[in-house]
Amino acid sequence: MLRFALKHMATRRAKLMMTALSVVITAAVALLAYNISTQVSEGIVNTAAKFDIIIGPSGSATQLAMNTMFFTDKPLGTIPYDLVEELNASGLVSAAIPFSMGDSYNAAPVVGTDARLLEGKALKRGEMFDAPMEAVVGWAVASQYGLQPGDSLVTTHGLSSDGAAHAESPLTVTGVLARTDTAYDNAVFTPVSTIWALHEHGHEHGEDGHDEHDDHDDHEADEHDEHGHAGEGSICAVLVRSTGFDAYSKLMSAYGSRSEYLIINPNTVLREVMDNVDLSRRIVYLLCGVILVMNLFVVSVIALLSLYDARREIALMRLIGISMGRINRLYLIQNALTGAIAMALALGLSRLCLLAMRGFVAGMGIVLNAWRVYPKEWLILLAVFLLSVAPTLIATARMAGRDSVDGRS
Amino acid sequence: MIQTKDLYVRFSDGSGIRYDDLCFENGQSCAMIGASGCGKSTFLNLLAGVLSPTEGCVEIDGENASAWSQRRRDAYRIRHIGFIFQDFKLLEAMTVADNINLLRLEGVDTSGMDDLLDRLGILRLKKRRVQRLSGGEKQRVAIARALIKRPSVILADEPTGNLNFETGEAVVRQLIENAGGGTLIAVTHDDRLVPRFDRAIDMNAVAHFCEAEEVKRHA
Repeated sequence: MLRFALKHMATRRAKLMMTALSVVITAAVALLAYNISTQVSEGIVNTAAKFDIIIGPSGSATQLAMNTMFFTDKPLGTIPYDLVEELNASGLVSAAIPFSMGDSYNAAPVVGTDARLLEGKALKRGEMFDAPMEAVVGWAVASQYGLQPGDSLVTTHGLSSDGAAHAESPLTVTGVLARTDTAYDNAVFTPVSTIWALHEHGHEHGEDGHDEHDDHDDHEADEHDEHGHAGEGSICAVLVRSTGFDAYSKLMSAYGSRSEYLIINPNTVLREVMDNVDLSRRIVYLLCGVILVMNLFVVSVIALLSLYDARREIALMRLIGISMGRINRLYLIQNALTGAIAMALALGLSRLCLLAMRGFVAGMGIVLNAWRVYPKEWLILLAVFLLSVAPTLIATARMAGRDSVDGRS
Repeated sequence: MIQTKDLYVRFSDGSGIRYDDLCFENGQSCAMIGASGCGKSTFLNLLAGVLSPTEGCVEIDGENASAWSQRRRDAYRIRHIGFIFQDFKLLEAMTVADNINLLRLEGVDTSGMDDLLDRLGILRLKKRRVQRLSGGEKQRVAIARALIKRPSVILADEPTGNLNFETGEAVVRQLIENAGGGTLIAVTHDDRLVPRFDRAIDMNAVAHFCEAEEVKRHA
C-alpha cells in the first residue's frame, strides 16, 4: 500500500509540491508570529522585576529602563557613585547595585556592576569576577567568540564594534554564564571599577595624543559625559531592591523630588513597554492573519483541483472493485506524508527565520532561542495540517456508499 | 450462472431503460450488439454491480447480487469479474505495471503479469506510462488488468473498438481462450466478430428506453 501510495504521489508531484509549499508558508508564518511574540514577551518579563527601583540621571524613563534592564539604548548620563553608598547606608534597601555601561566587546555591551547583579544566574563555566579587569561573559557572547575562563578580551569604546579599542587593557574572562535566553546572554559583566580604570587609562592616552583615540578626541570627549561613560566615581544608574513597601515609598518620595535624578519603578515602565509590545503583537497577528487567509485560499484552490483529479481516480478505482476503505487509506497515507513533510519544513523554515531575526531582536535586548518550540506551536501545526488535508478526506468519505457510476454510459 | 430479472434503471434526467430478462450460462461467450445509446454499457454496469438497478435484480448463481452490500459487491467484483471498459479506465499518469499492480491493494495475485503482457504483445510497454500509449495499446492494458485475476466473469465493453479487424479478432480469440471456462459477455459493434462467440444478443430488442414523460405516465 505504501509503495503504491508513493508511486501515486510521484505522478501528482507538481500539485503536491504546490500544496505543500502553500501549507509550509501558512504554517511557518503562524509559527513564527506566535513564537517570536511569545519569546519577546517572556524575555521582557523575565529580565525585569528583579528590582523595584532604578535611579539614574534625569531624562527618559523608558530609556533608563531599557538601558538597565535590557542593556540597550545609550545611558542617560552619569550620577555619582556616592549615591550607592548613600542608599546602602540608608537602611531602606536590601541591595543597591551600581550600573555602568558605555563600552562594548564586538558590539556586545560591557556592563560595569557588582556580582549581585548576577545573583540567580548560574555560571556554566568558571567563577564570578572578583577584581578589576576581570569579566564574566554571557552565554551567547562566549559561544559566538569561543571565550573560555582564562581568555582575554579587548573591549572597545562606545556601543558599536567600530569604536577605539582598549587594546592596552584587556579583560580576563573568569566565568561564562549559563544560557538564560535574556539580554544577559549578550553582555559582558565586569566590576564597575574596571570601567573607571579603562577610562582613566583611555583619557591619559587621549591627552598624550599618541593612540587610536586621537581621531575621536573631541567627539568622544562629548559623548563621555552625554552618554554615560562613567569616569572614576561615576556610574550610569543604581538598581535598587528596597526592604519593603514602606521603604519603597520613602525612597520614591526622597529621590523623586531631586531634580538631578530620575527614579522609576521598572515594573511600571515595563507595563508601558508591554502595552506597546501588545499593540505591535496585535498588528503582527493581523498581518499574519491576512497572509494565513490568503494562503488558505490558495491551499483550498489547489485542494479543489486535486479533488477533481482525486474524484476521477477514486471513481476509476471503485469501478474495478477497489474498496472505499482501501481508497481512503491510500489517500490518507498520501495526505499524511505530504502533510508531515510540509509540517517538518514549516517548523524548519520558522526556526531559520527565528535564527535570521535573532540579531534584530537582540538589539531590543531580547535573545531568541530559535530551537524553542512551544506546545501551542504543535497545535498550530496540527490545525494547518487538518485544514490542508480535510478537503480530500471529506471528498473520499462522501464518495463512500455511492454507486461507482451514475447515469447511462 | 448470471440471470437478470425485471431489470429497470432510471437515470438522473428521469428517463430509464427496462430490460427483458436474460440468462448467461457459466462458460458461455456472448456478444451483445445494438445501436449506440441503446443501453449496452448500462447493462454491463448493472451486471458488474457498479450501478444499482432501480427495480429488479441481477442474480449470480441463484443469489440476488443487487441486494448485496456495497462492500460485498466490491469484493465480488475484484475477485470474480474482469471488466474491460470502453474508455479503458486506466490511471494515465502511472505505468502499465502500476495499473495492473493496483489490484494488489485488494490482495489480487499479479505474479503472472509478465506472461500475460507477453501474450498480449505489450510486455515491452510494462514500464511505460499509460498516457504515452496508443489507443490500441491502452485497450490491451485494460484487457490485461481484467484478465490478470483469472475472473469467472469477463465483461467487455467494446474491447476491440480501437483495433483493426485482424487485431480485434485476435483479441477476441484471446479473451475467449483466457476466459478459461468463465463467462464472457462482450459488447461489440463489429458484426464480423459475432461468429466467434457462442451466442449473440441484439440489445435493440432487449433494452426498452423510456423518456422521462413516459416514465411519469407509467408511475
